[in-house]
Amino acid sequence: MAIRKRKLNLGPHIALVLLSVMALMPFIWMVLASFKELADVESPNLWPTSWHPENYAEVFRQIKYAQYYFNSAFIAAWVTFLTLVTSSMAAYSFARIQWPGRDSIFRLYLATMMIPGLVTMIPNFSLMVELRLLDSYAGLIVPAAFSAFGTFMLRQFMMSIHPSLDEAAEIDGAKPWQIFWDVVMPLCKPGLATLGIFTFMGSYGSFFWPLILVKSDHLRTLPIGMMYFDGVNGRQTNLIMAASVMSIIPLILLFIAGQKFFVKGIMLGGVKG
Amino acid sequence: MNKQRRRLFIGLAFLLPNLLGFLIFTAGPVAFSFGAAFTNWDLQGSPVRFIGFDNFVNMATDNGFWLYLVNTFYFLIGIPLSIVGSLAVALLLDSKIRGIVVYRTLLYLPSVTSGVAVMILWKALYNPDFGPINRLIESVFGVQGPNWLLSTQNLAALGVEKVGFVPAQFGFGAREAILIMGIWGALGGGNTLLYLAALGNVPSELTEAAELDGANRWKVFRNVTWPQLAPTTFFILVMSFIGGLQGGFEQARVMTGGGPAGTTTTIAYYIYNKAFVELQMGFASAVSLVLFALIFLITLLNWKFGNRETTY
Amino acid sequence: MKGSFLLTLLGLIFLSVFAASLTPPPPGGKRTTLVWATDNNPVRAEQCALFNKLNPDLFVMIDPQNADSQKVIVQAIGGVGPDLFDGYSAENLENFVRAGIPLDVTDDFKKMGIDVYDLIWPTLLPGCVYRDRIYGFPRNANTNAVWYNKDLFDKAGVPYPKRNWTWDDLIDTAKKLTVRDSAGKAKQFGFYWDFGNTSDLIFQSGGRQFSKDGTVCLIDSPEAIDAVQRSRDLLHKYKIAPSPMEEAALATQGGWGSGGITFLMGGRVAMAYGGRWWLNLMRSQKGLNLGCVPLPFTKKRLYQGGGGITMINRYSPKREAALRFLKYMSEKSYNDLINAQADAISPVKKYAYTKEFLFNPAYPQEDYNEVWRFVTEHSEAPEFSPFLKGTELAPLKNQMDLVKNDLKPVPEAMKQAAIDTNARIKRSIEINPMYAKMYRELKGETP
Repeated sequence: MAIRKRKLNLGPHIALVLLSVMALMPFIWMVLASFKELADVESPNLWPTSWHPENYAEVFRQIKYAQYYFNSAFIAAWVTFLTLVTSSMAAYSFARIQWPGRDSIFRLYLATMMIPGLVTMIPNFSLMVELRLLDSYAGLIVPAAFSAFGTFMLRQFMMSIHPSLDEAAEIDGAKPWQIFWDVVMPLCKPGLATLGIFTFMGSYGSFFWPLILVKSDHLRTLPIGMMYFDGVNGRQTNLIMAASVMSIIPLILLFIAGQKFFVKGIMLGGVKG
Repeated sequence: MNKQRRRLFIGLAFLLPNLLGFLIFTAGPVAFSFGAAFTNWDLQGSPVRFIGFDNFVNMATDNGFWLYLVNTFYFLIGIPLSIVGSLAVALLLDSKIRGIVVYRTLLYLPSVTSGVAVMILWKALYNPDFGPINRLIESVFGVQGPNWLLSTQNLAALGVEKVGFVPAQFGFGAREAILIMGIWGALGGGNTLLYLAALGNVPSELTEAAELDGANRWKVFRNVTWPQLAPTTFFILVMSFIGGLQGGFEQARVMTGGGPAGTTTTIAYYIYNKAFVELQMGFASAVSLVLFALIFLITLLNWKFGNRETTY
Repeated sequence: MKGSFLLTLLGLIFLSVFAASLTPPPPGGKRTTLVWATDNNPVRAEQCALFNKLNPDLFVMIDPQNADSQKVIVQAIGGVGPDLFDGYSAENLENFVRAGIPLDVTDDFKKMGIDVYDLIWPTLLPGCVYRDRIYGFPRNANTNAVWYNKDLFDKAGVPYPKRNWTWDDLIDTAKKLTVRDSAGKAKQFGFYWDFGNTSDLIFQSGGRQFSKDGTVCLIDSPEAIDAVQRSRDLLHKYKIAPSPMEEAALATQGGWGSGGITFLMGGRVAMAYGGRWWLNLMRSQKGLNLGCVPLPFTKKRLYQGGGGITMINRYSPKREAALRFLKYMSEKSYNDLINAQADAISPVKKYAYTKEFLFNPAYPQEDYNEVWRFVTEHSEAPEFSPFLKGTELAPLKNQMDLVKNDLKPVPEAMKQAAIDTNARIKRSIEINPMYAKMYRELKGETP
């Protein structure tokens, strides 16, 4: 028995270590390159011959990196907030309140979830042009804040909560608004956390919409700012890697902090299948 | 009646903010797209007219459209590879060994960080002269690495000008570069987690019974585990197709500009170019509708064939 | 729960106020600010500063990141467009006019006493005049010539090119100056040839891409095919100029980037076909010894000439101020500045025939300015067909791309290009009543 256990242990370990190395290698190269001077990046050495942490400061000097960071976080925060509020209210309406026509409208929501985002980009863009919301924070935030997926996910979640608590509160004379905030929502914390994390990360990495909507440099988000930085004259690979490292860190931190929500979230999305 | 009307009022009151946004930014635009696809709308002042199916005819006669469609399908090759890969990783992560959470976290990193920053990173990795990938190839295999993002060569020897096979085009080029990057990013990601969960749900009585019957590891997997995983596999397959058919935009925009010679342009990038670079909004709407129809069709096909597998 | 959401909302509102404060204030301060969507050329700073000095109540600033034509159009319509913006060719101008963006300044110019027909180089007229209406004023006049690096010539012991040299001379010289390493990879090229300059070769050969009225694509004529073949041969037959792949490979070394200017500056090419405006970037490089001669010609000495044209956004509320900028461009101080900066040549002809133009004491080694004037005298505006919008040029561009990458033989490619392009022209005329009308006016018959 004991021998068998040890044999089983080694195989998976080796494979997992190999896989982890494969997964991490690009990141390791990226971090090391961010500390090199330019000629060193192009030489065959993996390890820097000299360390240049000032590369990081140089990024802030060459482009409005701090502004891009703020923009990405600011927009993601608003989008997450609005999504959580509107989706949870909508989910409550679909999950807990019986009203005529409810299921047909919900089916409409479901139907649109299958439609590729590209189909809506063009009309949304021209709507922004008409409303003069091109190149503005509002234009970046508002269209992204209404998610059919969020509604769907929270509805799933709410439906798994036993209605007995609601009914008890209703008997006690509580209004729907109160039941929503004081009974249902606290029980939805895991679902909200999951949706919140996913929405935040999705908005943070959003590329297409900011690309077509934004004209001014001070409104750019991180992905757009970095893309232009990468395209600009002379390939300053070491600086670009430093910029990339800084932009990935929030994602990694969020993931490590919210791991269990991640796992739950993927499941929730997958259960529907 | 009063109670029902009251419930309607409350229901709508809760729904309203989300519904408004939904109508204005999702449902409305979809309907609008359907209409726009039949016009010559181009945001440049030409008077907008209905032109019937002209956009679709132009699309069908545009050689580029077919080339980009082929490109889009080419990238779908990654799907079976990443499904098998995700399953393999999930099986490994399913072992009860110490530190499994550490491994799971590390392997999820490529997926979590995916985005422009990582694409820019891979663009640097693929540099034919100085990138570490080619340096590695040279030191291990002793041959010069391929030109990756600059090369129109590919493993299917597809030609550049027309849809067809050209033997001289065999090799590792931009498409392969993007495929490899995609598979790297998918292993250990969401699909792996899904498989992990599904593996946890495989009733141990079944596997134990099979083992007692004398089946070896592979037989157990093939006859017990794999069928139990079928619903998950089906789900992943459907979602991967849906995602894959509308993908490729970020990679093209950030890494290759759609090139070289249009070999990494997918339908999504084609739509972007037509709509936001050439401002041919009507035509682009038509292409996006065709894309939608394609996704719908393939999902339907998947359902027809896949569902048979999962209900036995 | 409600509490935490309300708190978050308050926090977000506070952040929004903060975000709004981050919008940079207009740099002009109290003066009226004009935004000019143009490129990032370092000489713009002085051009703007001079204008600001002469017009103390105005402040013009550049916006290079939104200078792209499509961006200008969409942003103008969306109300966030620039006040001034640049076009680069007659084709460009037509696109803009059809989108309704540039202001028609014909009457304003008359009132201000600006006569473009009299003032500017003839090659610049199609770029700012569309159907007898004037839409802007040219920024400069650019025709290309061959730059050569004297040091690389000296090192290889090759004599400098002569003024009246032939194509054979060019190819021979370039071969002597192309250096390859042991693996056969070129470390230095004798020549840099931007494939887009094939149009110059077509002009030289006496051929045309389009018929004069733009109704037929003539890229499959023997003269045009010959010209395109010569262009392709420079890259792939004589291998004296880098092919696209070689260019990309050369570009990644040392963070230089690609393009003729950078290669010339970096000593990676011995000669390059380019413009006088290259000096804007090259002058800062000490120790660069350059000369220049006109490009050899086959049948006739005719080059492609053009220049930037500055126009006013019709939607801009600052029309009067913008008009003053255009007037500034027609006057002596601006034109002299252009010549001194070497931002190609002044758009107004007469200022190129001065002593200051030939000899600039700040740059005494630039003894070749007469060459630039000479080639501009022998230039013509680029061709285009009014029946093809930019997007309709895709078949032609695709075939050129294939030839450039040596993926298809020239005669086949050009024949295909002509077939496809003529089909597009025919279709445009059929489905668009505006084009049909144009065709009728030109040909006097129904299409």
